[in-house]
Amino acid sequence: MTAPLIEARALGKSFGPAPVLREVNLSVAAGGGLAVVGANGAGKSTLIRLLAGLSAPSFGDAMLFGEAARTLAPALRRRVGLLSHQSFLYPNLSAQENLEFYATLYGVEDARKTAALWLERVALGAAADARVRGFSRGMEQRLALARAMLARPDVLMLDEPFAALDGDGAALAAALVREAMSRGCAVLASAHSAEPLAALGFAVLALARGKLVRAEPDAARQSAARAPLARQVS
Amino acid sequence: MNSFAAVLRKDLLLEVRGGQSTVALGALSLLVLVVLVFAFDPGGGEQGAAAAAGALWVALVFSGMLGATRAVSAENENGCLRALLMSPLDRAVLYAAKLAAAFVFMAVAEAASIVLMVLFFNLDFDARVMRMAPVVLLGALGFAALATLLAAISSRLRGGELILPLLAVPMFVPALIAGVKASALALGGSPLDELAVWIKVLAAFDAIFVAAGYLLFEYVAGEE
Amino acid sequence: MNGRPVRLGLGFVTLALVLAALYMVFVYVPTEADQGIVQRIFYFHVPCAWDAFASFALVAIAGIFYLWLGQQVWDDLGYAAAEVGMVFCTLVLATGSIWAKPIWGAWWTWDSRLTTTLILWLLYGGYLMLRAMAGDSAQGARFGAVVGIVAAVDVPIVIVSVRLWRTIHPAVLVTRQGGHGLEDPRMVATLLVSLAAFTALFIWILCLRFVTLRMRTRLGALARSLAMAEAAAQD
Repeated sequence: MTAPLIEARALGKSFGPAPVLREVNLSVAAGGGLAVVGANGAGKSTLIRLLAGLSAPSFGDAMLFGEAARTLAPALRRRVGLLSHQSFLYPNLSAQENLEFYATLYGVEDARKTAALWLERVALGAAADARVRGFSRGMEQRLALARAMLARPDVLMLDEPFAALDGDGAALAAALVREAMSRGCAVLASAHSAEPLAALGFAVLALARGKLVRAEPDAARQSAARAPLARQVS
Repeated sequence: MNSFAAVLRKDLLLEVRGGQSTVALGALSLLVLVVLVFAFDPGGGEQGAAAAAGALWVALVFSGMLGATRAVSAENENGCLRALLMSPLDRAVLYAAKLAAAFVFMAVAEAASIVLMVLFFNLDFDARVMRMAPVVLLGALGFAALATLLAAISSRLRGGELILPLLAVPMFVPALIAGVKASALALGGSPLDELAVWIKVLAAFDAIFVAAGYLLFEYVAGEE
Repeated sequence: MNGRPVRLGLGFVTLALVLAALYMVFVYVPTEADQGIVQRIFYFHVPCAWDAFASFALVAIAGIFYLWLGQQVWDDLGYAAAEVGMVFCTLVLATGSIWAKPIWGAWWTWDSRLTTTLILWLLYGGYLMLRAMAGDSAQGARFGAVVGIVAAVDVPIVIVSVRLWRTIHPAVLVTRQGGHGLEDPRMVATLLVSLAAFTALFIWILCLRFVTLRMRTRLGALARSLAMAEAAAQD
């Protein structure tokens, strides 16, 4: 297995004395997909925040591209995309303006064209100049996904990517994720249930009481094909 | 377009599209000036000029705190600050853009305040007011630099609204002293070279705090 | 490594110096001609001011090291220095006020030194309120370090601008090192001994406070480790 792009080593996080996450070990290589499932409050979002470098670990290491996620150099931050349960969108800007802004920050060539292209890909072309404030939750989610992916990141972290998406939206999201993985992107996603992600060939692990444990047997079977690229490191 | 310009443009665009910050700042300045007119009941002449200068700077401080808080908090909706922190954007450049936005809001509010000040304190629109304008702009820049850094701290603490004025006011004292003195002198008709020492203090203050903010912002911008 | 012998030794040295200073201030040194007995406050007022300003610099330096090295010990030092410095700063204002009333007839004067000390006091207060609000967290430590550094950078320009603004402080305090208006060599000696005593007192109290904060830090780390072990035992 090639060097992992996303890695956690004995990762732990405490707010106050009790740990929210402990002894988390995982790695995802280029082209691999790992799904972390768990109930609300299990620590999925915390795990993603740690791996995205937004939060500092209390124990262990959270690494991207072999470097500490917290202090990632700008050149490496350019290659990371994050989809959070917060949309990261400015409500008073249009969809096009939002994407153009982030495209500029990520150094994308021809930000305007890239933004327009991605709006088409997430089926929001018609709403390009509409303010995000008026968007439905599903439209917001699709736009947020476009925002995360428009710089063609090598690492993608998705916090509940299928939330608020209807059948068409979910199929769109799945197609985009599959395409990203096939061009070598490492993907880490969190979700309530393993279903849509396992169907994409993700390895599945569960987060319970702050630790990563093996997922339900049937989910693990479905992910056998992609398993070598993403696994729990023991 | 580089990142600094992109962030600044976005903030100004959002402001034009109904951010209401400049309106709020202007309104606050107006109210402060009204209160101070009742508080001091100034006559004309030199006493009026000194009172006018003081009132203007009180308005600057209060509206500046509001302006910096809004410039920084603009990123709180939908967690956009996290997106900015995750992007390749240099934290120091983010500070510079927020500082520039706060400065623009303050400059617009100050322009309105100067007009109101001339009206309320029975002064004239003449060269003396013009000579005071660069002093006020220097003061606004210094306060914006200071307050943007402190607002990044206060906006992340529950009940932190107290922290911004608590720290900003004592830190701003040198610029306040220099600014009020220079403004009063300018309004009183003094020539520019008498203002020189105070303008130097203001310039030094601005340089120090812009540099400090630029270097230290990354330590206050991150998360736990 | 137990620092207790050092702290004990420091405590005795401090006690000796303080006793010597008390003797010199109240018995040895002659009464000043113009101001009378009240002038003896000067021998407490000046060292307290020296302690307050030095502590402020210490907070900033500790802040720089904390941001640079990320080690909690620097934040513990900075926080302790801020707390102790605040006490001495309050004493400067109090002794200055007690001194001012009989001499100048007013409890407070806006002269340059007292005004600068008031600003310092407000900055200390802001720092401590910030730390109280931010609680026991790395974020609080980072915020404190930044505020400490910015405030320290601010102080020189405060001094300059306030001095330009006005000054009526007695000429006996032209500078803190030398160049004072003290004619009698016994007064100089008393001042120096008092300075030494207050410096020792400051260091001793700082050490006590610092050690307490270090223990609190270690306790926090132990609590976290214990919680981890408990959670693991329940697996």
